[in-house]
Amino acid sequence: MTELLIDPNIRVWVFLPIVLITFFVGVIRHYVSVLISSQKKAEITQIQDSQAMIRARLLRENGKYLTPHSFAMRKNFFNHEETGYFKTQKRAPVAQNSTAMLTDMVKGNFINVLPMVIIGGWINWMFSGFVTTKVPFPLTLRFKPMLQRGVELASLDAAWVSSASWYFLNVFGLRSIYTLVLGENNQADQTQAQADAMTGAAMTMPQDPKAAFKAEWEALEITEYHSALKNVEKDMLHHAFGSDVSIENSIRQ
Amino acid sequence: MSGRLTTKTGEIVAYSEAAIRGNISAVEYCRTSMAALSGCAAGILGLNGLLGFLFYFLSVFVLWLLVLAKSGTQWRKFFINRQSLLTNNFMGGLCTYVLFWTFLYGMVHVY
Repeated sequence: MTELLIDPNIRVWVFLPIVLITFFVGVIRHYVSVLISSQKKAEITQIQDSQAMIRARLLRENGKYLTPHSFAMRKNFFNHEETGYFKTQKRAPVAQNSTAMLTDMVKGNFINVLPMVIIGGWINWMFSGFVTTKVPFPLTLRFKPMLQRGVELASLDAAWVSSASWYFLNVFGLRSIYTLVLGENNQADQTQAQADAMTGAAMTMPQDPKAAFKAEWEALEITEYHSALKNVEKDMLHHAFGSDVSIENSIRQ
Repeated sequence: MSGRLTTKTGEIVAYSEAAIRGNISAVEYCRTSMAALSGCAAGILGLNGLLGFLFYFLSVFVLWLLVLAKSGTQWRKFFINRQSLLTNNFMGGLCTYVLFWTFLYGMVHVY
Protein backbone atom coordinates (compact mmCIF):
# COMPACT_ATOMS: atom_id res chain seq x y z
CA MET A 1 0.00 0.00 0.00
CA THR A 2 1.45 3.32 -1.00
CA GLU A 3 1.87 5.71 1.86
CA LEU A 4 0.99 9.24 0.98
CA LEU A 5 1.86 12.27 3.04
CA ILE A 6 -1.00 14.75 2.96
CA ASP A 7 -0.80 18.37 3.97
CA PRO A 8 -2.73 18.91 7.22
CA ASN A 9 -4.13 22.08 5.68
CA ILE A 10 -6.19 19.86 3.40
CA ARG A 11 -7.80 18.40 6.47
CA VAL A 12 -8.78 21.78 7.85
CA TRP A 13 -9.79 23.47 4.62
CA VAL A 14 -11.16 20.62 2.50
CA PHE A 15 -11.90 17.48 4.46
CA LEU A 16 -13.81 19.04 7.37
CA PRO A 17 -15.66 21.72 5.37
CA ILE A 18 -17.15 19.11 3.05
CA VAL A 19 -18.60 17.20 6.00
CA LEU A 20 -20.00 20.35 7.56
CA ILE A 21 -21.40 21.68 4.27
CA THR A 22 -23.14 18.41 3.49
CA PHE A 23 -24.64 18.20 6.93
CA PHE A 24 -25.86 21.77 7.17
CA VAL A 25 -27.22 21.79 3.64
CA GLY A 26 -29.35 18.82 4.64
CA VAL A 27 -30.59 20.67 7.72
CA ILE A 28 -31.31 23.84 5.74
CA ARG A 29 -33.11 21.85 3.08
CA HIS A 30 -35.36 20.40 5.76
CA TYR A 31 -36.32 23.78 7.13
CA VAL A 32 -36.73 25.39 3.71
CA SER A 33 -39.12 22.65 2.66
CA VAL A 34 -41.05 23.10 5.88
CA LEU A 35 -41.19 26.80 5.13
CA ILE A 36 -42.45 26.67 1.57
CA SER A 37 -44.58 23.55 1.62
CA SER A 38 -48.21 24.46 1.31
CA GLN A 39 -50.94 22.86 3.32
CA LYS A 40 -53.06 20.74 1.06
CA LYS A 41 -56.58 22.02 0.79
CA ALA A 42 -59.25 19.38 0.63
CA GLU A 43 -62.91 19.51 -0.27
CA ILE A 44 -65.24 18.52 2.52
CA THR A 45 -66.76 15.74 0.42
CA GLN A 46 -63.31 14.35 -0.18
CA ILE A 47 -62.65 14.15 3.51
CA GLN A 48 -66.05 12.60 4.04
CA ASP A 49 -65.30 9.98 1.42
CA SER A 50 -61.92 9.10 2.77
CA GLN A 51 -63.26 8.81 6.31
CA ALA A 52 -66.00 6.49 5.05
CA MET A 53 -63.37 4.40 3.35
CA ILE A 54 -61.34 4.22 6.53
CA ARG A 55 -64.39 3.20 8.52
CA ALA A 56 -65.22 0.46 6.05
CA ARG A 57 -61.66 -0.82 6.19
CA LEU A 58 -61.66 -0.80 9.98
CA LEU A 59 -64.90 -2.73 9.93
CA ARG A 60 -63.36 -5.33 7.67
CA GLU A 61 -60.30 -5.68 9.85
CA ASN A 62 -61.76 -5.43 13.32
CA GLY A 63 -65.33 -6.57 12.75
CA LYS A 64 -64.53 -9.80 14.48
CA TYR A 65 -64.64 -8.08 17.85
CA LEU A 66 -68.23 -6.94 17.37
CA THR A 67 -71.41 -8.79 18.01
CA PRO A 68 -73.05 -10.29 14.93
CA HIS A 69 -75.83 -7.77 15.13
CA SER A 70 -73.48 -4.79 15.23
CA PHE A 71 -71.43 -6.15 12.39
CA ALA A 72 -74.46 -6.69 10.19
CA MET A 73 -75.73 -3.22 11.04
CA ARG A 74 -72.48 -1.55 10.07
CA LYS A 75 -72.12 -3.61 6.96
CA ASN A 76 -75.65 -2.70 5.99
CA PHE A 77 -74.91 0.97 6.42
CA PHE A 78 -72.26 0.75 3.73
CA ASN A 79 -73.49 -2.01 1.47
CA HIS A 80 -77.29 -2.06 1.53
CA GLU A 81 -78.67 -2.44 -1.96
CA GLU A 82 -80.81 0.69 -1.88
CA THR A 83 -79.68 2.78 1.05
CA GLY A 84 -76.05 1.78 1.54
CA TYR A 85 -73.52 4.55 1.63
CA PHE A 86 -71.39 3.12 -1.13
CA LYS A 87 -74.47 2.60 -3.28
CA THR A 88 -76.13 5.95 -2.89
CA GLN A 89 -73.18 8.30 -2.97
CA LYS A 90 -72.56 9.27 -6.53
CA ARG A 91 -69.43 11.28 -6.87
CA ALA A 92 -68.07 12.78 -10.01
CA PRO A 93 -64.41 12.07 -10.51
CA VAL A 94 -62.45 14.73 -8.77
CA ALA A 95 -61.17 17.29 -11.17
CA GLN A 96 -57.55 17.52 -10.21
CA ASN A 97 -56.41 20.98 -9.47
CA SER A 98 -53.61 20.72 -11.95
CA THR A 99 -51.85 23.93 -11.10
CA ALA A 100 -51.59 22.97 -7.44
CA MET A 101 -50.17 19.59 -8.38
CA LEU A 102 -47.68 21.25 -10.68
CA THR A 103 -46.55 23.70 -8.03
CA ASP A 104 -46.04 20.85 -5.60
CA MET A 105 -43.96 18.95 -8.09
CA VAL A 106 -41.90 21.97 -8.95
CA LYS A 107 -41.35 22.68 -5.27
CA GLY A 108 -40.34 19.09 -4.62
CA ASN A 109 -37.83 19.17 -7.44
CA PHE A 110 -36.65 22.54 -6.33
CA ILE A 111 -35.93 21.25 -2.86
CA ASN A 112 -34.49 17.87 -3.73
CA VAL A 113 -32.69 18.05 -7.01
CA LEU A 114 -31.47 21.59 -7.16
CA PRO A 115 -29.33 21.63 -3.98
CA MET A 116 -27.91 18.25 -4.94
CA VAL A 117 -26.79 19.56 -8.32
CA ILE A 118 -25.72 22.99 -7.19
CA ILE A 119 -23.84 21.97 -4.06
CA GLY A 120 -22.34 18.97 -5.81
CA GLY A 121 -21.19 21.12 -8.68
CA TRP A 122 -19.91 23.79 -6.36
CA ILE A 123 -17.92 21.30 -4.30
CA ASN A 124 -16.57 19.77 -7.47
CA TRP A 125 -15.42 23.19 -8.62
CA MET A 126 -14.25 24.59 -5.32
CA PHE A 127 -12.45 21.57 -3.91
CA SER A 128 -11.49 19.83 -7.13
CA GLY A 129 -8.37 17.78 -7.40
CA PHE A 130 -7.66 17.06 -3.75
CA VAL A 131 -6.90 13.66 -2.41
CA THR A 132 -8.68 13.98 0.90
CA THR A 133 -8.57 10.72 2.77
CA LYS A 134 -8.15 7.00 2.64
CA VAL A 135 -10.85 4.46 3.36
CA PRO A 136 -9.54 2.07 5.99
CA PHE A 137 -10.23 -1.03 3.97
CA PRO A 138 -8.75 -2.29 0.72
CA LEU A 139 -10.79 -1.88 -2.43
CA THR A 140 -10.50 -3.32 -5.89
CA LEU A 141 -9.60 -1.29 -8.94
CA ARG A 142 -13.20 -1.12 -10.02
CA PHE A 143 -13.87 1.42 -7.28
CA LYS A 144 -11.26 3.79 -8.63
CA PRO A 145 -13.52 5.84 -10.94
CA MET A 146 -16.16 5.94 -8.21
CA LEU A 147 -13.94 7.07 -5.34
CA GLN A 148 -11.36 9.10 -7.23
CA ARG A 149 -13.48 11.37 -9.31
CA GLY A 150 -11.48 14.40 -10.32
CA VAL A 151 -8.15 12.76 -9.56
CA GLU A 152 -7.06 10.66 -12.51
CA LEU A 153 -3.88 9.00 -11.33
CA ALA A 154 -3.32 5.50 -12.62
CA SER A 155 -0.83 4.52 -9.93
CA LEU A 156 -2.82 5.72 -6.92
CA ASP A 157 -4.19 3.02 -4.66
CA ALA A 158 -7.95 2.55 -4.96
CA ALA A 159 -8.46 3.19 -1.26
CA TRP A 160 -7.70 6.89 -1.55
CA VAL A 161 -10.73 9.14 -1.86
CA SER A 162 -10.94 12.37 -3.80
CA SER A 163 -12.86 15.40 -2.56
CA ALA A 164 -15.81 15.02 -4.95
CA SER A 165 -16.30 11.40 -3.96
CA TRP A 166 -15.96 12.26 -0.29
CA TYR A 167 -18.95 14.52 -0.77
CA PHE A 168 -21.03 11.67 -2.15
CA LEU A 169 -19.94 9.36 0.65
CA ASN A 170 -21.21 12.01 3.03
CA VAL A 171 -24.54 12.39 1.24
CA PHE A 172 -25.25 8.70 1.61
CA GLY A 173 -23.84 8.23 5.07
CA LEU A 174 -25.55 11.17 6.71
CA ARG A 175 -29.06 10.07 5.81
CA SER A 176 -29.76 8.22 9.02
CA ILE A 177 -28.07 10.96 11.04
CA TYR A 178 -30.74 13.35 9.81
CA THR A 179 -33.36 11.07 11.28
CA LEU A 180 -31.51 11.32 14.56
CA VAL A 181 -31.08 15.09 14.49
CA LEU A 182 -34.26 16.33 12.84
CA GLY A 183 -36.63 13.68 14.05
CA GLU A 184 -38.68 11.46 11.85
CA ASN A 185 -40.51 12.54 8.71
CA ASN A 186 -37.82 15.04 7.91
CA GLN A 187 -37.45 16.29 4.38
CA ALA A 188 -33.72 15.77 4.15
CA ASP A 189 -34.12 12.03 4.05
CA GLN A 190 -36.12 11.13 1.00
CA THR A 191 -36.28 7.36 1.34
CA GLN A 192 -37.84 7.64 4.77
CA ALA A 193 -40.45 10.07 3.49
CA GLN A 194 -41.46 7.69 0.76
CA ALA A 195 -41.76 4.79 3.14
CA ASP A 196 -43.98 6.87 5.40
CA ALA A 197 -46.12 7.85 2.46
CA MET A 198 -46.68 4.17 1.81
CA THR A 199 -47.77 3.33 5.33
CA GLY A 200 -49.93 6.41 5.75
CA ALA A 201 -51.71 5.74 2.49
CA ALA A 202 -55.08 5.56 4.19
CA MET A 203 -55.05 9.26 4.94
CA THR A 204 -54.73 10.38 1.35
CA MET A 205 -57.76 11.28 -0.61
CA PRO A 206 -58.92 8.72 -3.13
CA GLN A 207 -58.27 9.98 -6.62
CA ASP A 208 -61.43 8.59 -8.12
CA PRO A 209 -64.08 8.10 -5.45
CA LYS A 210 -66.34 6.03 -7.62
CA ALA A 211 -63.77 3.35 -8.34
CA ALA A 212 -62.53 3.41 -4.75
CA PHE A 213 -66.07 3.02 -3.44
CA LYS A 214 -66.66 0.10 -5.77
CA ALA A 215 -63.48 -1.63 -4.64
CA GLU A 216 -64.31 -1.09 -0.99
CA TRP A 217 -67.89 -2.25 -1.57
CA GLU A 218 -66.63 -5.46 -3.12
CA ALA A 219 -64.15 -6.05 -0.34
CA LEU A 220 -66.80 -5.50 2.30
CA GLU A 221 -69.29 -7.66 0.45
CA ILE A 222 -67.05 -10.71 0.59
CA THR A 223 -66.15 -10.15 4.24
CA GLU A 224 -67.77 -12.75 6.41
CA TYR A 225 -68.35 -12.45 10.09
CA HIS A 226 -66.22 -14.61 12.34
CA SER A 227 -66.27 -13.71 15.97
CA ALA A 228 -62.86 -13.55 17.58
CA LEU A 229 -64.44 -13.52 21.02
CA LYS A 230 -66.41 -16.71 20.61
CA ASN A 231 -65.04 -18.49 23.65
CA VAL A 232 -64.06 -15.46 25.62
CA GLU A 233 -66.40 -16.15 28.56
CA LYS A 234 -65.02 -19.63 28.97
CA ASP A 235 -61.51 -18.33 28.68
CA MET A 236 -62.12 -15.73 31.34
CA LEU A 237 -63.77 -18.21 33.67
CA HIS A 238 -60.87 -20.50 33.11
CA HIS A 239 -58.43 -17.76 33.99
CA ALA A 240 -60.44 -16.75 37.04
CA PHE A 241 -61.10 -20.15 38.54
CA GLY A 242 -58.22 -22.15 37.18
CA SER A 243 -58.79 -25.56 35.76
CA ASP A 244 -61.87 -26.25 37.87
CA VAL A 245 -63.98 -25.21 34.98
CA SER A 246 -63.66 -28.24 32.83
CA ILE A 247 -64.82 -26.87 29.57
CA GLU A 248 -63.44 -27.03 26.16
CA ASN A 249 -61.71 -23.73 25.65
CA SER A 250 -58.81 -24.48 23.44
CA ILE A 251 -60.71 -23.70 20.28
CA ARG A 252 -60.39 -20.07 19.61
CA GLN A 253 -62.16 -19.65 16.32
CA MET B 1 -54.80 1.29 14.25
CA SER B 2 -54.45 -2.32 15.05
CA GLY B 3 -53.06 -5.24 13.23
CA ARG B 4 -53.14 -8.93 13.73
CA LEU B 5 -50.86 -11.77 13.15
CA THR B 6 -51.65 -15.43 12.87
CA THR B 7 -49.10 -17.71 14.41
CA LYS B 8 -48.33 -21.20 13.24
CA THR B 9 -50.76 -22.70 15.67
CA GLY B 10 -53.59 -20.64 14.24
CA GLU B 11 -53.82 -18.39 17.24
CA ILE B 12 -54.56 -14.77 16.50
CA VAL B 13 -52.41 -12.22 18.26
CA ALA B 14 -53.72 -8.69 18.25
CA TYR B 15 -51.32 -5.81 18.61
CA SER B 16 -51.31 -2.08 18.27
CA GLU B 17 -49.74 -1.03 15.01
CA ALA B 18 -48.83 2.45 16.22
CA ALA B 19 -47.13 1.18 19.37
CA ILE B 20 -45.12 -1.39 17.43
CA ARG B 21 -44.02 1.28 15.00
CA GLY B 22 -43.04 3.53 17.89
CA ASN B 23 -40.93 0.78 19.41
CA ILE B 24 -39.25 0.03 16.13
CA SER B 25 -38.40 3.67 15.53
CA ALA B 26 -36.94 3.91 19.05
CA VAL B 27 -34.72 0.94 18.25
CA GLU B 28 -33.85 2.62 14.98
CA TYR B 29 -32.57 5.65 16.90
CA CYS B 30 -30.39 3.38 19.03
CA ARG B 31 -29.09 1.66 15.95
CA THR B 32 -28.09 4.89 14.23
CA SER B 33 -26.38 6.18 17.35
CA MET B 34 -24.63 2.88 17.76
CA ALA B 35 -23.42 2.89 14.14
CA ALA B 36 -22.10 6.44 14.48
CA LEU B 37 -20.41 5.85 17.83
CA SER B 38 -18.86 2.52 16.92
CA GLY B 39 -17.69 4.08 13.66
CA CYS B 40 -15.97 6.82 15.65
CA ALA B 41 -14.41 4.23 17.94
CA ALA B 42 -13.17 2.14 15.04
CA GLY B 43 -11.71 5.20 13.35
CA ILE B 44 -9.88 6.38 16.44
CA LEU B 45 -8.58 2.90 17.15
CA GLY B 46 -7.35 2.76 13.58
CA LEU B 47 -8.97 -0.53 12.71
CA ASN B 48 -8.12 -1.71 9.23
CA GLY B 49 -9.85 -3.75 6.60
CA LEU B 50 -11.76 -6.80 7.71
CA LEU B 51 -11.22 -6.01 11.37
CA GLY B 52 -13.34 -2.88 11.06
CA PHE B 53 -16.23 -4.73 9.50
CA LEU B 54 -15.99 -7.39 12.17
CA PHE B 55 -16.20 -4.59 14.71
CA TYR B 56 -19.44 -3.42 13.09
CA PHE B 57 -20.94 -6.91 13.20
CA LEU B 58 -19.88 -7.18 16.81
CA SER B 59 -21.44 -3.85 17.76
CA VAL B 60 -24.71 -4.69 15.96
CA PHE B 61 -24.81 -7.95 17.83
CA VAL B 62 -24.02 -6.32 21.16
CA LEU B 63 -26.76 -3.75 20.59
CA TRP B 64 -29.18 -6.57 19.84
CA LEU B 65 -28.24 -8.29 23.09
CA LEU B 66 -28.64 -5.02 24.97
CA VAL B 67 -32.10 -4.42 23.54
CA LEU B 68 -33.10 -7.95 24.42
CA ALA B 69 -31.70 -7.53 27.92
CA LYS B 70 -33.66 -4.29 28.26
CA SER B 71 -36.93 -5.82 27.13
CA GLY B 72 -36.20 -8.84 29.27
CA THR B 73 -38.28 -11.95 29.16
CA GLN B 74 -41.30 -10.04 27.95
CA TRP B 75 -39.96 -9.03 24.57
CA ARG B 76 -43.12 -10.35 22.96
CA LYS B 77 -44.91 -7.42 24.52
CA PHE B 78 -42.80 -4.95 22.57
CA PHE B 79 -41.74 -6.54 19.30
CA ILE B 80 -43.23 -8.99 16.87
CA ASN B 81 -40.08 -10.99 16.31
CA ARG B 82 -36.51 -10.91 17.48
CA GLN B 83 -34.78 -11.57 14.18
CA SER B 84 -35.94 -8.35 12.56
CA LEU B 85 -34.48 -6.46 15.53
CA LEU B 86 -31.09 -7.79 14.51
CA THR B 87 -31.31 -7.41 10.77
CA ASN B 88 -33.42 -4.29 10.21
CA ASN B 89 -31.67 -1.47 8.40
CA PHE B 90 -28.38 -3.33 8.47
CA MET B 91 -27.09 -1.72 5.29
CA GLY B 92 -28.17 1.80 6.26
CA GLY B 93 -26.30 1.42 9.53
CA LEU B 94 -23.28 0.13 7.66
CA CYS B 95 -23.34 3.25 5.48
CA THR B 96 -23.27 5.49 8.54
CA TYR B 97 -20.64 3.32 10.18
CA VAL B 98 -18.33 3.45 7.16
CA LEU B 99 -18.71 7.20 6.93
CA PHE B 100 -17.75 7.81 10.54
CA TRP B 101 -15.03 5.18 10.43
CA THR B 102 -13.51 6.78 7.34
CA PHE B 103 -13.91 10.25 8.76
CA LEU B 104 -12.19 9.60 12.07
CA TYR B 105 -9.60 7.33 10.49
CA GLY B 106 -8.74 10.12 8.09
CA MET B 107 -8.62 12.73 10.82
CA VAL B 108 -6.46 10.71 13.16
CA HIS B 109 -4.33 8.34 11.12
CA VAL B 110 -3.97 9.64 7.58
CA TYR B 111 -2.77 13.17 8.27
